[in-house]
Amino acid sequence: MGLGVVIGAAATVAAPQALSHISPAAYAAAADTYRQLNLFGDVFDKIRNDYVEKPDEAKLIEAAINGMLASLDPHSSYMDAKAFKDMQVQTKGEFGGLGIEVTQEDGLIKVVTPIDDTPAAKAGILSGDVITAIDDTPTQGLTLDQAVEKMRGAINSPVKLKVVRGPKKEAKDFTIVRELIRVQSVRSHVEDGDIGYIRVTQFTEQTADGLKAAMEKLKTEVPADKFKGYILDLRNNPGGLLDQSIDVVNSFIDRGEIVSTRGRTPDETQRFDARPGGDLSGGKPLVVLINGGSASASEIVAGALQDHKRATLIGSRSFGKGSVQTIMPLGQEGALRLTTARYYTPSGRSIQAKGIEPDYKVLEDVPDDLKGKDDMKGEASLKGHLANGDEDTSASQAYVPPEEKDDKQLTAAIDLLEHGVKPVETTAAKADAAPKPEAAKSDAAKSDAPAPAETGKPN
Amino acid sequence: MLHSMKKGLSYLAVGIVTGVALAGASEGALLAVAASANTGVTLFANVFNKVRDNYAEKPDDDKLVKGAIDGMLASLDPHSTYFDPKSLQDFQTSMRGEEFGGLGLEVMMEDGLVKVVSPIDDTPAARAGLMSGDLVTRIDDTPVKGLTLKEAVDKMRGAAKSSVRLLVERGANRDLKEYTIVREIIHVQSVRSHLESGDIGYIRITQFNQEAYDGVRKAFDHFRTDPGSSRLRGYILDLRNNPGGLLNQAVEITNAFVDSGEIVSTRGRNADQEQRYSARPGVNLSQDKPLVVLINGGSASASEIVSGALQDLKRATLIGTRSFGKGSVQTILPLGDNGALKLTTARYYTPSGRSIQARGIEPDITVLENIPDDLRGKVSSLGEASLFGHLKNGSEEEKGSDAYVPPDKDKDTQLQAAVSLLHGATLESLKKPATTVTVQ
Repeated sequence: MGLGVVIGAAATVAAPQALSHISPAAYAAAADTYRQLNLFGDVFDKIRNDYVEKPDEAKLIEAAINGMLASLDPHSSYMDAKAFKDMQVQTKGEFGGLGIEVTQEDGLIKVVTPIDDTPAAKAGILSGDVITAIDDTPTQGLTLDQAVEKMRGAINSPVKLKVVRGPKKEAKDFTIVRELIRVQSVRSHVEDGDIGYIRVTQFTEQTADGLKAAMEKLKTEVPADKFKGYILDLRNNPGGLLDQSIDVVNSFIDRGEIVSTRGRTPDETQRFDARPGGDLSGGKPLVVLINGGSASASEIVAGALQDHKRATLIGSRSFGKGSVQTIMPLGQEGALRLTTARYYTPSGRSIQAKGIEPDYKVLEDVPDDLKGKDDMKGEASLKGHLANGDEDTSASQAYVPPEEKDDKQLTAAIDLLEHGVKPVETTAAKADAAPKPEAAKSDAAKSDAPAPAETGKPN
Repeated sequence: MLHSMKKGLSYLAVGIVTGVALAGASEGALLAVAASANTGVTLFANVFNKVRDNYAEKPDDDKLVKGAIDGMLASLDPHSTYFDPKSLQDFQTSMRGEEFGGLGLEVMMEDGLVKVVSPIDDTPAARAGLMSGDLVTRIDDTPVKGLTLKEAVDKMRGAAKSSVRLLVERGANRDLKEYTIVREIIHVQSVRSHLESGDIGYIRITQFNQEAYDGVRKAFDHFRTDPGSSRLRGYILDLRNNPGGLLNQAVEITNAFVDSGEIVSTRGRNADQEQRYSARPGVNLSQDKPLVVLINGGSASASEIVSGALQDLKRATLIGTRSFGKGSVQTILPLGDNGALKLTTARYYTPSGRSIQARGIEPDITVLENIPDDLRGKVSSLGEASLFGHLKNGSEEEKGSDAYVPPDKDKDTQLQAAVSLLHGATLESLKKPATTVTVQ
C-alpha cells in the first residue's frame, strides 16, 4: 500500500489548482514558458546531434531533472523507478527478507546483528558473521546495497548464504526461507521500574501502530498508580510520514491543532487537529528527547507537544527542516519528491532553518575521537534551503552515547520524571558532536533511512 | 532523422503551452500530445509542469530551465557549459582580448578574499602601488567576503575614468590600506616577449585569444631587429600555466615554427567529422632556429596542441613537467537571445595520432621547480584525469603535475634549463641531477 500512502500524502497538500478562466497574464506566462522550454529543447537537441560521443538520452534527461530540482531546495529530488521502489519499501517499513542488520567492512558484508524472531535469528546467524556469498554469488565486489538487494526477495523464497565465522574463519552454509520482516521503528522498555521509555527511529507506516502497541505493553508492565510518565526519544530521528507524526502526537493529546501546512497560496492551507479519544497516555508526564539529528516529522511531534505544554523537551536544538515534500508518481519513470509546503506548529511558528529549542538544553559528553567531527549543521547550512528570516546556522549536537549510563540527556529525563529535578542546563557547547553512526542496514531497508514520503532528513 | 526529432520537440513545446494556460486542468491532454515526442523530453516536461504547479513557492522558470541545462551538461563532461547572455559576453570579451575599463590587476580567490596575483605593468593598479599578495577586502562599500571571484571582478571593472575604492590588507601584520583608483582601458595582453641572455627570443603566451598569433608575429618582428637574425640563438616558447583558448590560434602559432606537416586533427562522433589542420608553407617565421617549449601541469588544451605538434614534428625540445591532459575540443553553439552552449564536440590528435586526453604530454626533459614551503601542495594541477566525468582515454591515464613558476627569473630552473640547452648544453647533461635542477 505504499502507493496509497503516497497518494494520500499528495492529497494533503497538492490539490490541483483549478484556474477557472485563462487570464491574459496566463497567456504571457505561457509565452515565457514556451520560450524557456524551447531553450531546453534546443540545448537537448544540440547535445544529441553534436556531442563528441553518442549521449545516453535517459541519463541526460535525468541529469536535467536533477539539475532543475537541485536549483529549488535540498529536499526536492527525482527518484528513478528503482529508487522509488526502495523508498516505498522504506516508507512501508516491511519487506521480504531474512532479518539481518548488515554493514560493510573492508569490502566484506558483516552481520551487525540478526533481528530477534526472524528467519536469520532462527537459522543461527550470529553477530560478526561475514557473509561471503549469497546464492553462490561472491559478495566481494558488491556494494552494501547490492548485497542487501540480493538477500531481499519474495516471502517464502529461499536464499543460500555462505558465511565465515570467528577467528578460525569457519565456513558455514545456510539456506534460509525469507519471511515478512518489519523494520521496527518503535522500541520501548520500562526505565527505572516505572517510566515508559519509547524510542522512535523514523516515521514509517508502522510507526503509529508500533507506538500504540508499545504504550499498551508498558501499561501492562507498570501499574497505572505507579506509572511516573513517558520518555519519547526522537534523537537522530530524521523524519518520515506526516500522517504518522500527527498520529503520534494524538497519542499524547486529545484536542487542539497538531500542525498546519501552507503551500504557495492561502487556499492550500491544511490544518490537522487531534481526534478526541486518541490520547493513550492517561495524562502522565512526558519528556521528549531531541537533538541536532531530530528532523522534520520529529520536529512536528516535538513542536506540537511543546506548544501544547504537554511535554518537556530535553536535549539540544533540533535540525530545522520545516518543509513538506510530496511524492508525485511519474508512471513508469519513478517519482518526483517535491517540496510543496511549509509546516507550522500550533502556535504558528515555522521551525524552518531555525529548529526547536529544547526547554532544557542538556549536552552529552562526546568521546574525544568523535569531537567536532560530526556536528549536525542543520537546515540553515544546506545550500539552497528555503529561507526563514533569522536563521540559526550553528551546529547542534547529535550524539547519543551507546551506554545508557553515560546518556546525560536520558538521565536528566529520568530525574525530572522520578524526582521532579529540573535539569541543569549545560553550557559547555564545545561538546557539539555527532549523529550516532548508524551505518548498519537491515537486510532490505537502510536503518539510517533518510526520510520517506513526507518529511525527510536532508543529506 | 534530425528533422523528425525537431518536429517531436516542437510538438512537445506546443503541448506544454497548452498545459500552462490551463494549469492542472489539461494535464491529460498535455500528456496525450506529448506522447508522440521523445519520451525523455516528455518526462522532463511532465516534471517541469509539476514543479511549476505545485512547488511551495512560485518558482522562477528561467532558473528552473537553467538548472536543468546545467545539470544536463555537467553530466557530460567538465568542459561543456551553458553561457547565459551575460557570461557569453564576458567569454567573448576575453577571447577577443578586448579592452575593458578596469584597474589592471590579476587576481585570484583565497579564503573568500580576492588576492592580488600581480598588478599588470603600466596600469592604474600598478601606479597606485598595489602589490602582489595584497588581499582586497572591500570594493567601494561592498565587503568581498561572500562574493564570487567573478562578482568581485565585475565590481572592479567599470567605465574608464570612473573611480573605485579598494580596501586592502597587506603583509603579515595585515596593515589596512585604502586606495582610490581611476579606471582606465586595460588591454588583455596574451603574449609577452623579451630577449633572454642577450641572444634568445623568449615568448610567453598566457592564453590563446584572438590576438595571440598577432602577438607572436610582433615578437618575431622585434627579435629580427634586436638582437637581429644572425645573433639569435633560438627561441623559448613559454606555455606554462596557459589554460588554452582558440584552436585556430594554436594552429597559426604552431605554423609560425614549422613549414609543413600536419599540426592537429580533430575527430567528432562520426568519421566524416574528422578535420585535419596542416601547416601552410611560407609562414614559418622562426628561420628554423632551435626551439624550447616550456610546459607544466597548468598547460592545457590549445597549449597541448602546440607543444604536442612541435614535439611530434621534432621541431622543439619540451622542458618542464607533464601537461594537463585536456584532449577535447569545445564548440560555441549560439542559442539566439539565450546565450550559447559550449559543447565538447571532438577530441583532437597530435600529428603522430595520439590523444593526450587524461594523459598529458610528457616533456622531453622533466625539470621541476623548487616550490617554496608555504606553497607546497597548493600549486599542483590535478589534471584532466582527476576531473569528475572526464572523457576516458583507455587505461593509461595520468594525473596532473606541478604548476608553479617562480616569480623570480633567477630561481626559475625550467627557464634556466631551456637557456642552457640553447647555449649548447647537451640533453644528457640536463637530464643529470644538479643542485638547482631537480630531475624526475
